[in-house]
Amino acid sequence: MTARALVTVNTLDAAYGDGPAVLRGVSFSAFGGRIVGVLGPNGGGKTTLFRALLGELPIRRGDLRVHGTTAYVPQTERSRLDFPVSALDVALMGAYADLPWHRRMGAIQRRAAADALARVGLEEVARTPYGALSGGQRQRVLIARALVQNAEVLLLDEPLTGVDRPGAERIESVLRDLRSEGRALLVATHDVGQARSFDEVLCLNEEQVAFGAPEPTLTGDTLARTYGGELVLLEDGGRAAVVQSHAHS
Amino acid sequence: MSEVLDPFSARFMQYALAEVLLLAVAGALLGAQIVLRRLSFFAHGAGTATFPGLVVAGPAGVPPQLSALAVSGAFAVALERLGRAARTTQDAATALLLVAALAIGIILASDVLVSGSSVDQLLFGSLLGIGTDELALSAGAVVLVALVTAAFDRAWVARGFDPEGASALGVPVAVADLALLLAVAVAVVASIDAVGALLVGAVLVIPAATARPLAGSVGSLRLHTLWIGGVEGAAGLWVAYQLDLPPGPVIAVLGGAMFTVVTVVAWARHGVPA
Repeated sequence: MTARALVTVNTLDAAYGDGPAVLRGVSFSAFGGRIVGVLGPNGGGKTTLFRALLGELPIRRGDLRVHGTTAYVPQTERSRLDFPVSALDVALMGAYADLPWHRRMGAIQRRAAADALARVGLEEVARTPYGALSGGQRQRVLIARALVQNAEVLLLDEPLTGVDRPGAERIESVLRDLRSEGRALLVATHDVGQARSFDEVLCLNEEQVAFGAPEPTLTGDTLARTYGGELVLLEDGGRAAVVQSHAHS
Repeated sequence: MSEVLDPFSARFMQYALAEVLLLAVAGALLGAQIVLRRLSFFAHGAGTATFPGLVVAGPAGVPPQLSALAVSGAFAVALERLGRAARTTQDAATALLLVAALAIGIILASDVLVSGSSVDQLLFGSLLGIGTDELALSAGAVVLVALVTAAFDRAWVARGFDPEGASALGVPVAVADLALLLAVAVAVVASIDAVGALLVGAVLVIPAATARPLAGSVGSLRLHTLWIGGVEGAAGLWVAYQLDLPPGPVIAVLGGAMFTVVTVVAWARHGVPA
């Protein structure tokens, strides 16, 4: 994969059903080999943007173009921990669309799923029930599922939420590997510090507040406009913390 | 041994046994998804919703299965549309429709049907009255359910595991959801002759719920549901014959007892789930 714009969004307004636009004026590009951090408060439009990129929402204004397969990596808490599937079963879901309904998953698909689990360091737990894995391991299983989809664009919804520090470091390592392969990653996050390590940041608060390289973009004023009342403090060096509730949109 | 099996030498018992085994197959194919997708209440509601349709079918000159399928299918479509709006609305609507169907059915039955036992048959089934027509209907329903399951099983698993992310996997989520509800409606209609409008859960829900603690995969859940449903059906039929009881309720009671035993044993071995 080469460094080309895999996602191009121009003056996008997105809505749910016939309702009013809940996200307005979004314009940015995501290139292969880059990670874009998507920052914003709960209800600010991060998930709405992802759903629009997946083609699940009507576009009210503007346009978007996504080149290649797009995979969505949800928060692990949104998946069913009591569902009787193993890590391998979950990774295999990435191949569900590859075969017509009358053909069973075969050795090729199972090999692809096993390889994807190996790439995220989980080959040892392939047969382990998904619900028995740690939060960080579950997140990596979901990333493996996206790899089986052979997705060039990955949309990751708060992948580090609820993950302990070693697990987070492992996931961050996986994300860097995916970036080095030329994939475009959009990572929704509340962690401003983490977002500073990405290549670009997109700040949303029902509309686009800012987009650009982290250092010049994540100013106090931008963060204040992005998080409004949820922004709590700026520390030395411009670091910020965010108070978050758990509602999503 | 031959004395034990002696009840099944009668033709009507053979038909009844064939019926419960067919329903065990339908229960295995769909029960796993009903339990995993938390559609047990829907399945019960779809069964109950057929009651007024069954009551008016005879006097109206309409085949009862056709009437039941129309009502159950409409119930499934209505619930699917409501479910896309809000889950709590779907639950509330299921309860509302269930109560309304039962009440309307009883009111209609009080004028339309003169025999109270006929109402009992509609509500609790008449397994010992199964004939070749009913068997053919159930066999057809099982074939249809098997085809729908083969077509949508991957989408059902993806949707059940990850409701929000399934569509991004390229599986047809909306069509699969509707197909599941309609397949359940078909299985419900096939079950009514055997266990009645009120007890469809005995064949479509209880065996799968019983099997749930035993299964580590969707496939094994189906296999366990199959043998549990078959054993409960055959044993219930035998007990009902020996004690001169209605088989549908006996199957339901056996199912409840087996569920309790399996659940308690699972809790004893693995602890009570948090």
